[in-house]
Amino acid sequence: MMDLDKIIASLRDGKHIPEETVFRLCLNSQELLMNEGNVTQVDTPVTICGDIHGQLHDLLTLFEKSGGVEKTRYIFLGDFVDRGFYSLESFLLLLCYKLRYPDRITLIRGNHETRQITKVYGFYDEVVRKYGNSNVWRYCCEVFDYLSLGAIINNSIFCVHGGLSPDMTTVDEIRTIDRKQEVPHEGAMCDLLWSDPEDVDTWSLSPRGAGFLFGKREVDQFLEKNNVELIARAHQLVMEGYKEMFDGGLVTVWSAPNYCYRCGNVAAVLKIDDDLNREYTIFEAVQAQNEVGNAIIPTKKSQMDYFL
Amino acid sequence: MSKRNTPPLRSSGINTIQINAAREMHAQTVRARRMPMPTSGITTPSVQPTAAPATPPRHICNNPNNPQCLHCGSVIIPSPRATLPLEDNPSISINDWTISSRKKPILNSQELDIWENEKLKGLTLPEMIFGNNYIRIENSKQHWSIEFNALDALKEVQLQDSGIRVAYSNDWINSKKRQNSTNGAQRFTNDVNDDSLNIIHKYDWTYTTRYKGTESSPESKFRLDNDQKLPLDKLAVHDKILFYDDMILFEDELADNGISILNVKIRVMNERLLLLSRFFLRVDDVLVRVYDTRIYVEFDENVVIRESKEFEGKYQDVLAKHRLSQSHDPKAALRDSNWVAQNTPMIKRQCEIIQF
Repeated sequence: MMDLDKIIASLRDGKHIPEETVFRLCLNSQELLMNEGNVTQVDTPVTICGDIHGQLHDLLTLFEKSGGVEKTRYIFLGDFVDRGFYSLESFLLLLCYKLRYPDRITLIRGNHETRQITKVYGFYDEVVRKYGNSNVWRYCCEVFDYLSLGAIINNSIFCVHGGLSPDMTTVDEIRTIDRKQEVPHEGAMCDLLWSDPEDVDTWSLSPRGAGFLFGKREVDQFLEKNNVELIARAHQLVMEGYKEMFDGGLVTVWSAPNYCYRCGNVAAVLKIDDDLNREYTIFEAVQAQNEVGNAIIPTKKSQMDYFL
Repeated sequence: MSKRNTPPLRSSGINTIQINAAREMHAQTVRARRMPMPTSGITTPSVQPTAAPATPPRHICNNPNNPQCLHCGSVIIPSPRATLPLEDNPSISINDWTISSRKKPILNSQELDIWENEKLKGLTLPEMIFGNNYIRIENSKQHWSIEFNALDALKEVQLQDSGIRVAYSNDWINSKKRQNSTNGAQRFTNDVNDDSLNIIHKYDWTYTTRYKGTESSPESKFRLDNDQKLPLDKLAVHDKILFYDDMILFEDELADNGISILNVKIRVMNERLLLLSRFFLRVDDVLVRVYDTRIYVEFDENVVIRESKEFEGKYQDVLAKHRLSQSHDPKAALRDSNWVAQNTPMIKRQCEIIQF
């Protein structure tokens, strides 16, 4: 049996985790996650968290500001990795909490939890830099394929990374998807992780040529048909940490403060109590240095470059 | 948006500071030696000292919160912090020229609403707009300035379909059409029809901009002269940098299909400055594009040169060049706009000049 508490302490300190340990963590996580449904049932009270994007120290702030996993239930809406400098530690920390407190952590897949995206947006580079090979990246990608696609809170709040799909009008239909695969470029599974809310009259093709935009009518129909009152999603940067749309029928929650270490935004988490009341907790980014002056975030200071 | 994780701080920055410090110490020593001017009973007007005494610094810095300028004691490098409010507004003056910059966080929702509904109506805004950032080069005597900012850059984005699609667009659309015909008998189950597969929002989602700066004069004072060239020999000399700034004006990750980013940076030396405004577009597996605008100013001659270059190539063609280098991760190079600009065909160049 692994000493999860010891590994958790190492991860929180940003210390190196041996490859063999990562392998076993990922294997155990797969065994645990494969028993969860495409849409996980979660009870209140619960705290909903948006994108993390490898900002480990801000993830620690998130736990500190919202009660901590020992006392609070959490749903993470995906995009744990890429862009930040600590994608691996962030993801492994969440996996360890999942293994340690299975009923208190729900992890939903984001569009970044794929091989194709992590190859381009930082996670792969980070792993190769930290281990000298890509084995750990491959172990993590195996786990990605087992993450749930959504969650439902007290049968009243639907949680998903991106948004809705025209191919899935009910939560029950989402349960029929074969999710254990790389996220495809088309289909319902793709839509759930990639679509965006927009002020449009009906389903509309994104000008990029792929991906749907959905509007108030689609949200209202989904809420009514499934007898839910809120869709909580992430996927898009919000300067104020969260943004409600469509008369409060949909909310975007964003949990990576000072995104990419330069946006200067705040972040938020959304707590749902037993009466389904919403309470947003706002938090800021960690400082680039800790109390004793050691750098924990590489400072993005301009170098005096003799560019031409 | 794609940016390789920042490597550890490059030693060149530190070395530059150390080298400048060493030069300064040397200069102080030499000035000390020159102080007791040799006196001679015999003087002729034609005899000059072999070395002129060092002239006092002629620039004025205004750089709060930042490391000190080794030359005049003020600071050089703006350093944005995460703590709100985030604002930095340094400047430097040389002769009649003043260079200033400002950095703030991305626009908040209130600011975004104004930009979306008034200033840039019709354009779905990029995800990260540093709408309060700018770099400005001003000549007070000539009542002229040129500024680089996000709003004017985005005003140049076309409000019509760019024609560019992400790599898997055909697969995605064909899949939806197949599902429509399969579900034809059950049309009531969803509202998707072929009309939904048409693009309603017409704008250039790549945010391509040919922005070359905003002049304060109603009509441009630049005169086209494609025979002009930037004096690269002067710029290649590592003169002491008195002012430096580097900032993003806007950035969008194209919904994780690449990157569209407008970056502007400037370095100011004792006699001249160089500004580079770079638009970098990468649509994964589709194309890469680099649009550069450089502004060169010679302070004493009061000359301003503006050179624009456009580079564009198919993603696979540019990627093939890097594969030849046997890199472990060939796609990493396509995240580096410098490498892309050097390995992509230049399709257009233009040069303009102002002689005050």
